[in-house]
Amino acid sequence: MIDTGEVSAFRDLHTRLADAVESAVRGKRDVVDLVLVAMFAGGHVLLEDVPGTGKTTLARAVAGALGGVSRRVQFTPDLLPSDVTGTSVYDPQTGQIRFRPGPVFANIVLADEINRAAAKTQSALLEVMEERTVTIDGVGHAVPDPFLVVATQNPIDLDGTYRLPEAQLDRFMLRTSIGYPSVEDELDVLRPGSGAGRIADVRTVSSPREISAFSGRLQLLHVADPILQYISELGTGTRTDERLRLGTSTRGLRTLVRCAQVYAASKGRHFVVPQDVQDIADPVLAHRLVLTRESVLSGVTTSEVLADVLSRVAVPKPATQ
Amino acid sequence: MNGSLLKYGWVTAVLLVGALQLSQAWDGATVYFGLAALAGFAALPLKRIVPGGLAALAVMVLALTGGFFLARGASPDRDPTWVLLDTVPRLLTAARPAPATPELLVPGLLLIIGVSTGMVLSVTKRGTALFVPALGVATLYVSAALLTTGRADRYGLVALTLVVVLALGWLIIDRRGPVVPPAVLATALATLTLLAFVLPSNGFEPRKLVTPPITDIAISNPLPQLASWAAQGDAELFRMRGPEVPVRLVTLSRYSGASWEAASTYGPLGVVDAPDLPTGGKFQDASVDLRITGLQGEWLPGVGKPQAVSLSDAMVDPDTGSLVVAEGLKAGLSYTVRGVVETPADTDLAEAQVPAAATKYTALPRLPFTLAEYARQATQNARTPYEKAVALEQVVRLNRRPDAEAPVGSSYARLETFLFGAAGESGAGAGTAEQFASAYAVLARSVGLPTRVVVGFQPVPEQNGERIVRAADATAWPEVYFSGWGWVAFDPVSGNGSGPSAASKREVLNRLASTTAKPAPTSLASVPPLVQPTAVRDDRAAAPQAPKGFPFWAFTPLLVLAALFVARTSRRVRLRAAGPVGAWNEVLDSLQLAGLRPKPSRTVPDVGGEWGEAGARLAVLVDQAAFAPSPVQQENSWRLARQVKKAVRRKASWWRKVVWAIDPRPLFRR
Repeated sequence: MIDTGEVSAFRDLHTRLADAVESAVRGKRDVVDLVLVAMFAGGHVLLEDVPGTGKTTLARAVAGALGGVSRRVQFTPDLLPSDVTGTSVYDPQTGQIRFRPGPVFANIVLADEINRAAAKTQSALLEVMEERTVTIDGVGHAVPDPFLVVATQNPIDLDGTYRLPEAQLDRFMLRTSIGYPSVEDELDVLRPGSGAGRIADVRTVSSPREISAFSGRLQLLHVADPILQYISELGTGTRTDERLRLGTSTRGLRTLVRCAQVYAASKGRHFVVPQDVQDIADPVLAHRLVLTRESVLSGVTTSEVLADVLSRVAVPKPATQ
Repeated sequence: MNGSLLKYGWVTAVLLVGALQLSQAWDGATVYFGLAALAGFAALPLKRIVPGGLAALAVMVLALTGGFFLARGASPDRDPTWVLLDTVPRLLTAARPAPATPELLVPGLLLIIGVSTGMVLSVTKRGTALFVPALGVATLYVSAALLTTGRADRYGLVALTLVVVLALGWLIIDRRGPVVPPAVLATALATLTLLAFVLPSNGFEPRKLVTPPITDIAISNPLPQLASWAAQGDAELFRMRGPEVPVRLVTLSRYSGASWEAASTYGPLGVVDAPDLPTGGKFQDASVDLRITGLQGEWLPGVGKPQAVSLSDAMVDPDTGSLVVAEGLKAGLSYTVRGVVETPADTDLAEAQVPAAATKYTALPRLPFTLAEYARQATQNARTPYEKAVALEQVVRLNRRPDAEAPVGSSYARLETFLFGAAGESGAGAGTAEQFASAYAVLARSVGLPTRVVVGFQPVPEQNGERIVRAADATAWPEVYFSGWGWVAFDPVSGNGSGPSAASKREVLNRLASTTAKPAPTSLASVPPLVQPTAVRDDRAAAPQAPKGFPFWAFTPLLVLAALFVARTSRRVRLRAAGPVGAWNEVLDSLQLAGLRPKPSRTVPDVGGEWGEAGARLAVLVDQAAFAPSPVQQENSWRLARQVKKAVRRKASWWRKVVWAIDPRPLFRR
């Protein structure tokens, strides 16, 4: 069981990180929070956004704030799996075959426009995301910890792209979008010398070791049975909705529990409340739902369906334990 | 210790009220029921040794065993279960109120002991919400209402007392327990209150579920015995103490043309069947103690229309009120009869009408023309039924003499001889009370007066506090039924029986004599009555047997409102004791009352945030109390809830504010 002292320590850390990241990415505290939640929960983030909204900046700022390594891979149709994971090369000096790590060997990996690469390359990345090791010639090479992949996907301009299959979307813990900033924040960004977008100015406020330690502890955060019941009912709600071809898997619900734990801790609570579940249900679940053909044609989105389910399922009634 | 003393005191009070109420279904059983109500406390010492359920079982086994030995006398040589089960139909077919005989007391005592044990044991547990006492006392109350057809609590005062006592218990003693029971209780109580008022009037009657033992008794017509009694003279029949009233032995209402017949089906006294013709508007209770000394046969002497007899095996014909004892009378048999004696004033009868539908009392199979014509002539000047009745009394009495030696019989032939026989013919112009009463009844019936014949005994003077009734006192008299006034006795033998006063009869006769010269009215029916009998209704309302005067049901809405208010208050007390979660439920209650009930999918902070800082702070406390592993209470959540409630109430419409305190909806919120 995790106690209040530990939680307030985590909250401090979380605030420090988010503040540091926000010095580079202005006015997007909610997205920053979500990315941090995914990182502490040991998951990955899919950002669906048009170019130029600060995806790369966000990833780099996070890496900068936690003092880890960040790498960027631009996915193109001719990108090979080994370009992502690394490959074995012959070292003439030692006369040995040596593993040269690819860009995934970093704390934060920005996989830009992941849907541009061929399925083979995509799945190479997704495999690393899941396994957290790269196996070359029978030898496993572990990626560093913490390990956060921030993949981006351009929702428009889909010609010549390879859509990520549903099974692979499931590998991403969260899907969200950054979106354009508000007018004030945009003015702030545009103002010369504001410091926005300057990765170099992001203060390093933590260390990968500290992150790893917390992410293990947070799994012990208290989740009351009624909350689990509520999450299960949400899952059933998505599975029985007529507009959906595929509802949430059990893995999806488990992920929701983990994210809720981290989210609750980030709010300084040592227990999960229904509001936490509702707040992060959309980023965690929406991309795991598959619409029926009719729903796609009628223009409804999975987020809308999920909102309906949330407004339909009763939250657990407060009862004295 | 102080708390448990208070609790047991409260249970005792509730039990005693319930037992007192139930004891009204029996005659003089209050002490037994009061003691039985305390029997449940016997389970307390037992509970220290064995579990509660076993203690209750032990008490009940003891009670059932005792009940078996008490009731065994009524049906010997049967197995215990049968004996105990049989006490219920016995009670339901017994007189009302039931005499306090062992076998009739058993079902009531067992019910009270059971309820008492359950109640006492239920309050020993902590936090049981005192639900069982309310249920138990409601059971007693409804049982009493059913057994007495609602007469036990005619003004609803006992129900009110119970509601108040129960409410006090919940408010003062019981501050723990789950939140739901008050709602259940309030509903149950309101329903029970309603039931208690409605049941007797809408005709639910447990006695109808049991077929009363109807006994066919072919008892010979006692009329001919009048002659033999007349011959016995001074032989003592029975002794009585009480007012000077004629004692009735048997009432004969069927006439075959050859003889009078008594009713042949009898049921226990107190069964629901009302007589076919209602009791008159003016009457008084008469209660006499009788001791049989020489009287034989099955007929049991009684007074008026019997209401209660202290003999449990006495049976009654509801229409006539004739009492019988199937085993026959024995010398030394002592009992008390309470009966209703109709006492209409002479002026009441003057304009009284007779019911047209009472054909049973006007039936005369194959009536000879001579008798019919005689009756018509005798009454041709009479204007009202009363005048006819008086005229006939005079006609039958005139020129005829009582003669104990006269031939017996009440056939048309015997009556024709009695009335018209030539001098010297045996029985002409002479007869016993049998012929006088029969002749009167036949003539009266032929002119449409509902008439019956009663065999009984003349009132005798008191000697040393006792009235000794002898064979010579036996007589028979006819009775005529007047609408609204009941059966009125006439005396064709002497003209001065217990019926209307001689002065009134003489006045009628004088008037009839003076109108003889005038032409008779063409149609009797066309003569309008001089005075409409409006006073009849008022007299009835005042009568104790007609509980129609006051609309008791008018209290029901008030009782329901009071019950709702108590239930709501008690819910609030409970919620207040339940910490932040209770405080939140109070907020939800007020939201519901204001018509702003949030969707169930909305979270606590979401809803609370709408009601300012207090709401948001309360939401944090509620979430913590509900979902944190080890909740810690830092702030007074009830104070926050009250702030939110005030804000909510301000938004409610005026009519919602009016019904705020008694709106039952929060009670049913889940």
